[in-house]
Amino acid sequence: MSDFVPAAQITDARQAVDRLRTNMQRTIRGKDDVLEQVLVCLVAGGHLLIEDLPGVGKTTLAYSLARSMDCVFSRIQFTSDLLPSDVTGVAIYDETVKEFVFKKGPVFANVVLADEINRATPKTQSALLEVMDRARVTIDGEPHAVGSPFMVFATQNPVDYEGTFPLPESQMDRFLMRLRMGYPEPGDELEILRTARGGYDAIALNPVVTRTEILGLQALAHQVFIEDSVLDFILKIVAATRTESEFRAGVSVRGGVALRSAAQARALVHQRDFILPEDVVELVAPVLAHRLALARQSSDALEERRAVAAALKRIVGSIPLPQ
Amino acid sequence: MTAKLPKRPQLTREELQQIRWLLGNALTLLAAWTVFYMDIEAWTLMVLTSVAAGVMLVRPDLPGRVPKVVHTLAFPAIVTFFAADLWIKAELLPAMVRLDMLLLLYRTISYRQRRDDLQLIVLGLFLIVIAGVLTVSLTFAAQILLYTACALAFLLVITLTDGSAAGTPAGAAQPQALPAWAQHVSWIHLARRLRVAVDWRVIGMAGILFAGVVGLSALLFLAIPRFQLESGMLLDRFITKKARSGFSDTIRFGDVTEIQQDDAVALSVDVSDRAQIPATPYWRMLVLDHYDNATFRLSPALRSAPNFEPERSAAFITGRAVPRRGRTVFWTFYLEPGVSRYLPLLGHFERLRFREQQTFRTAPLLAVVQLRTEPVTMAAYQVEDFDLSGTVADRSYGQRWRQRDEPAQARGGLQVQLGISERDRATVRRLLGEAQVDGGLEPAVFAQRVNRWLRQRHAYTLSPVIPEGEGDPLVRWMASGEAGHCELFAGAFVVMARVAGFPSRVVTGFKGGSWNAYSNNFTIRNSDAHAWAEIFDEAAATYGAWLRSDPLGIIADGESDAMGGEAAIEARLDRSWTARLDSLRVFWYRRIVNFDRGSQLETLRAAKEATQNAGKRFREAVEQALRGVKGWLTAPWDGGRVIRLVGLAATGVGLVWFWREFGRSWWRKWRGRKPRAGFDPVRREASRWLGRIEEERGAVPEREAIVLELRRLRFGARSTWAAPEKIFRRAREGLRAVRKSR
Repeated sequence: MSDFVPAAQITDARQAVDRLRTNMQRTIRGKDDVLEQVLVCLVAGGHLLIEDLPGVGKTTLAYSLARSMDCVFSRIQFTSDLLPSDVTGVAIYDETVKEFVFKKGPVFANVVLADEINRATPKTQSALLEVMDRARVTIDGEPHAVGSPFMVFATQNPVDYEGTFPLPESQMDRFLMRLRMGYPEPGDELEILRTARGGYDAIALNPVVTRTEILGLQALAHQVFIEDSVLDFILKIVAATRTESEFRAGVSVRGGVALRSAAQARALVHQRDFILPEDVVELVAPVLAHRLALARQSSDALEERRAVAAALKRIVGSIPLPQ
Repeated sequence: MTAKLPKRPQLTREELQQIRWLLGNALTLLAAWTVFYMDIEAWTLMVLTSVAAGVMLVRPDLPGRVPKVVHTLAFPAIVTFFAADLWIKAELLPAMVRLDMLLLLYRTISYRQRRDDLQLIVLGLFLIVIAGVLTVSLTFAAQILLYTACALAFLLVITLTDGSAAGTPAGAAQPQALPAWAQHVSWIHLARRLRVAVDWRVIGMAGILFAGVVGLSALLFLAIPRFQLESGMLLDRFITKKARSGFSDTIRFGDVTEIQQDDAVALSVDVSDRAQIPATPYWRMLVLDHYDNATFRLSPALRSAPNFEPERSAAFITGRAVPRRGRTVFWTFYLEPGVSRYLPLLGHFERLRFREQQTFRTAPLLAVVQLRTEPVTMAAYQVEDFDLSGTVADRSYGQRWRQRDEPAQARGGLQVQLGISERDRATVRRLLGEAQVDGGLEPAVFAQRVNRWLRQRHAYTLSPVIPEGEGDPLVRWMASGEAGHCELFAGAFVVMARVAGFPSRVVTGFKGGSWNAYSNNFTIRNSDAHAWAEIFDEAAATYGAWLRSDPLGIIADGESDAMGGEAAIEARLDRSWTARLDSLRVFWYRRIVNFDRGSQLETLRAAKEATQNAGKRFREAVEQALRGVKGWLTAPWDGGRVIRLVGLAATGVGLVWFWREFGRSWWRKWRGRKPRAGFDPVRREASRWLGRIEEERGAVPEREAIVLELRRLRFGARSTWAAPEKIFRRAREGLRAVRKSR
């Protein structure tokens, strides 16, 4: 990894990110902070889990991102009777060629919207493990690469647990971030009421960045410099989650690496080739919260999310920022 | 279903922090006011600290306005102040008090973290303890009580605030960063909140507990000086039975033998000159002169004046030994608890010194010292120069003995009476005939013959059999030829001597002991307990003396030096495992016992002088330097001097310019070439400038650009740095511009 990113590349990256942001703002109003997190996740090459109430714009956000890029997009509506092969694809015997032919599933795309992912059984959810981790699917011992770039954009409802299967911890760990949309501000909601038309097909956005540009951004993010004191800061946060009595278990090593990658991506989104401690602080909750569970079981999912976020905030507050 | 009780409102974290600030400042005030009780020049600091504590209490937002430079310079300034104070005034305690006061002042004008609060308690405690040592006053006692209660409440609030949020925001770690709780403080509002939030029953219970502890402490304080600590604390019931079997002033036959059954250490003795050690030391404890029906005791005549002096309290006793020539020999005794209240001694001594003041009675002529009570802990005493002749000179007795036939002379203290019948006397006379001795012999010769006769007639045993029959049991044993123990032998000698007309008495104590090869001291065990006799010889020691006569040993005369010193040590050397364990005990005793207060005082005096001299030298050096400067300034000015001065100034300015222009960057490059963990001069400098710019509220020109560049220097890759010096200069100029614009 080089510790020097040419200024021209930084400028190009900034332009690409700005185009994406501006394009998405045409359909997603008043959610600039969420848009920034989504862009960070995209630049970091991670997968995103959006968790919120139905009808607050989760799917619209996914459509907006997919259509702003010159990429293949697919949507999978997760239900309890969905099979793993419905996601990854299946080998079918072809009478004409007298052999099994692999028929690709919807996961073979660049942006996959896994809508209401927690409605599928754990078996089907687990079908995503390999593809999220290694961007490939292995069927009958034969690997099949999915699109590049590849991003899973999953949504789930935290309140309505009736007929749902909570995602296992290993699955949650594969998501780089978990975000909440939240309700829009009154002014923004008024504008939505004025302009919104029914159906996702009405989202008329033209692609503003190419697939190559996205791959370039992701490669550039890996070159963003991290000073030792900032790395140490990340390490202290991760270590603190492991000794915090409120959590059942601390953040995994993958979690720490994810925080670093996300911070690198955020620095690039902010047109920097080095990380500031603020990058880490801003990303602690979205990157780490979904990887942690409370030691005391709570029946209220929202309450648990709040308690985890509060504990994380306290941990970050207790560790001095590198000055 | 029971009705749910309304929940008591809880204090918020901010409110707890406010109480914490309040209690901290109250503690500071209480600690600062201790100066009233000390004759130490710290009045200015006391007033400053008190005013600061009061003002900061009323306006907790003020520490946020203290300039950062104060916090930056505080530590070096305080250290310099302390060092200068110590050197100039050359007194440690007042300097420490002033240092403490200065630290309190600093803690008062800065926001405190947990460790600072704890430090505040310790600082206050130091002042309280010092004042407590220097003063005894009821007002001060009230102040201590108040301080203690305040400190306990303070600790409780610290625990509560820390418990309510583990860790504090990183920003609050700065002593000048205004915390949220200090922004809008209303003590009246807080008092109202306290009134509803605090459970007064808990406060009441805490108050009662505190009052109970204080009351109990006061009772102990008042009661302990009025009686002995050990009896006051009922310690004597914890003394083991074995330890209670020590020597007393009444000995029945078998008592000493019973003590001999116990192999525990009774006494350890350090000797400063090994050459002085006698071949067989007899550690005398008590003289028993009255015999009656198998019991020897201290007679009332001997117990009273002039033999025993009235009880007194002192830290040392002057003895009757004739001062010897040469270096003083010190014998340090460590007497185990429960052995006896009579101190083991080798005879007359020049001086006996206790560790601390003791209450005792002495019998100088008998060479006996009796403590008021039997020690329940190890009792240490040091004796200077024993009379090691084996005799106990008694000029007073000699005089009385010579006047024994005069009508006015009381017979009671002459130690010649015997509580036996005439028939028993006749038996003893017959035995004297058998032993071929009579009252006409020299006492030493008499003793030698009787002892030899007794040893030939009776064997030694620890389980003697006294024949049944009429008359005195001792006389029956003497007539029987049965084996016996040391008390019977000593008793037999005394009876025979008295019947023959010689004054004599039984002496109890210890005989011999072993020499511990590891700690190099005498170890005397209970099994060394012994009883022997003394016979008076009016011709000995010019005016008469008591000769030791041990029927189971040899007469003292002429024995001592032949086998004493190193030879005696060699003969008694103990290298066993028990000795190894015993040596640990002695090492400990040596560590905790110190008789030599003179050397301690001498050390303190030397330390004081050294400090004073150093301060004097420092003052002289400063004065000399000032005189030099003054002389140089007042010397006539000529062209050469002016040129030299200008040249010097120009060189100085040039060096400063060179350093700022090139030196710093070279230095940083050189240091940055091998970056060490946590240290990179450029990054550190960038961090410093970032902090200054962030603190500056005014509009710094090109602020964003400068901050970005500084951030790159702080967090970016080295290869992307562009001339750090220029960026620092821009930052400096930007800040100057803001300050000028004000």
